[in-house]
Amino acid sequence: MWQLADHELDSRLLIGSSLYPSPRIMQEAIRASGAGVVTVALRRQQRGGEDFWAALRELDVRLLPNTAGCHSAREAITTAQMARELFGTHWIKLEVIGDDYNLQPDPFGLVEAARELIAQGFEVFPYCTEDLVVGEKLVAAGCRILMPWGAPIGTARGLLNPYGLRTLRERLPGITLIVDAGLGVPSHAAQALELGYDAVLLNTAIAQAADPVAMAAAFRHAVQAGRLGFEAGRMPERDLAQPSTPVVGTPFWQQT
Amino acid sequence: MHAAIAGAGIMGRLLAWRLLRAGWRVSLFDRDPPEGGGAAAYTAAGMLAPWAEVESAEEAIHRLGLRALALWPELLAELGTDGDFHQRGSLVVAHAGDRADYRRFASLLAARLPGAEHCRALDGAALAALEPALAERFGEALHLPGEAWLDPLVVMSALARALRASGAVWRRAEVSRVGVGFVEAGGIRYGCDWAFDCRGLGARGEVPGLRGVRGEVIRLHAPEVELCHMVRLMHPRYRLYVVPRRGRDFVIGATQIESDDPGPITVRSALELLSALYSLHPGFAEARVTATAANCRPAFADNLPRLLAVPGLLRINGLFRHGFLLAPALAEAALARIAGAASRCEALFFEEVPA
Repeated sequence: MWQLADHELDSRLLIGSSLYPSPRIMQEAIRASGAGVVTVALRRQQRGGEDFWAALRELDVRLLPNTAGCHSAREAITTAQMARELFGTHWIKLEVIGDDYNLQPDPFGLVEAARELIAQGFEVFPYCTEDLVVGEKLVAAGCRILMPWGAPIGTARGLLNPYGLRTLRERLPGITLIVDAGLGVPSHAAQALELGYDAVLLNTAIAQAADPVAMAAAFRHAVQAGRLGFEAGRMPERDLAQPSTPVVGTPFWQQT
Repeated sequence: MHAAIAGAGIMGRLLAWRLLRAGWRVSLFDRDPPEGGGAAAYTAAGMLAPWAEVESAEEAIHRLGLRALALWPELLAELGTDGDFHQRGSLVVAHAGDRADYRRFASLLAARLPGAEHCRALDGAALAALEPALAERFGEALHLPGEAWLDPLVVMSALARALRASGAVWRRAEVSRVGVGFVEAGGIRYGCDWAFDCRGLGARGEVPGLRGVRGEVIRLHAPEVELCHMVRLMHPRYRLYVVPRRGRDFVIGATQIESDDPGPITVRSALELLSALYSLHPGFAEARVTATAANCRPAFADNLPRLLAVPGLLRINGLFRHGFLLAPALAEAALARIAGAASRCEALFFEEVPA
């Protein structure tokens, strides 16, 4: 069990609800992933999306609405307010897009929107980059959770900047950190958890797999393995090989 | 035998036609006139693409789509229309940024449909020879030579004409209920031997589990562009097709949004569709937008159609994006079932919507 905001969760995997072949496969994949939190987009479905949302509500998961598709703080704030009414939750995954091509977050609009939404009583999950200073500004604005990208959304490239992500982890020890976006295979998720990240959030890697349900199960196990690996305490990296069997007794003709 | 059919979309009309040909008396009930209305068929692009659908749909869609593709030419001949039907194949192309989706499409197709004859990879020279208009911007393509398309508007009106000429009774009334041996419309209960419910989303009150999936299309006239094939452009969210029509007219669609809002096309969708279109060929820049349309397609949770049958009542619903691709095969299956024979899609028959 771990704590996300004030909510107890079993799984350290958060999952998205877009791009599955059908709602039925989405439901099966979400169940197989073990995720307790599912993100849901609002911007394009604020009218008429009830049937789809009903398919999510059947799953007994906590919904995390997002502001995907918003390009300004104002637009994101309005969408968050609608999401609160529609879904009855004060949780909001805050996305303010600054660049349309790689869906890179706009750090300035993000900090502005986060400050305003926190003042309005929201629990803000900001989708940000791994930039330390942006992270600190979001924390100063009142965020308890940060969601830096691993790579741009949908690229499946994994953790492009492990150094930056590690720095963020070391410098913000009390903050819940979730790698959001850019993961492609289960080992990427394991790597994030091994770095000490609290959780990962992903969508496309599962939804667009040839078999989404099997891939969801694979990520479930990878997240568990990564977290266990982190808790177990890794051995440090070394520059030279250190054989686990002493070589002292090895006959001289076998030592090259 | 007397059939009462609720819903005169593509499924209702085709079923009516097949029943008339089999010697039945047929009454059709719909709130719209034969010339047009809210049926999803009017916003369909009319792709008959059973191979490309393998990427996102179940095997049953592929199999029934192949059957329907074989039935269409004969049906159109019976109806006395060419339907603007062309079996000239489709080309799948992608821009550099969508290369990953293109590779995924190609590998899923290869894995699910082994064999080379239904999907060929073309290099730049082969593409230029087959479809010169695309070779300016694309250096490779996948060619699905068996795929076809038709014009839904032509087919819908040909069906209306043929049905009336063959003595079908067309009652323009809002259907409130369909049950064993009756259709209730405009406050009157009409008895029959078999009732057929083909209302799509209109059946939501009586068919649990249906949802609407919004789709938007744009129609254009582009005198500067010549395309001999249907074109599918890789897109991260939609299955985008450009379908050529007679006289340098084109249709591009469709978006796919989990919403049952049938309102007019949004700015974002128009931008997405038109920029995708322009990116195919610069000649689309001066094309005229002649119409935009939006509609909601009826679908069940697994996006597969269902035939819900008890003696005296058959409901066909959930055709989703596949109305024209599936309707002839589903009509054939329905006729087989009421004649007591096995159909080609027993797995889609149920007595009620499965949980």
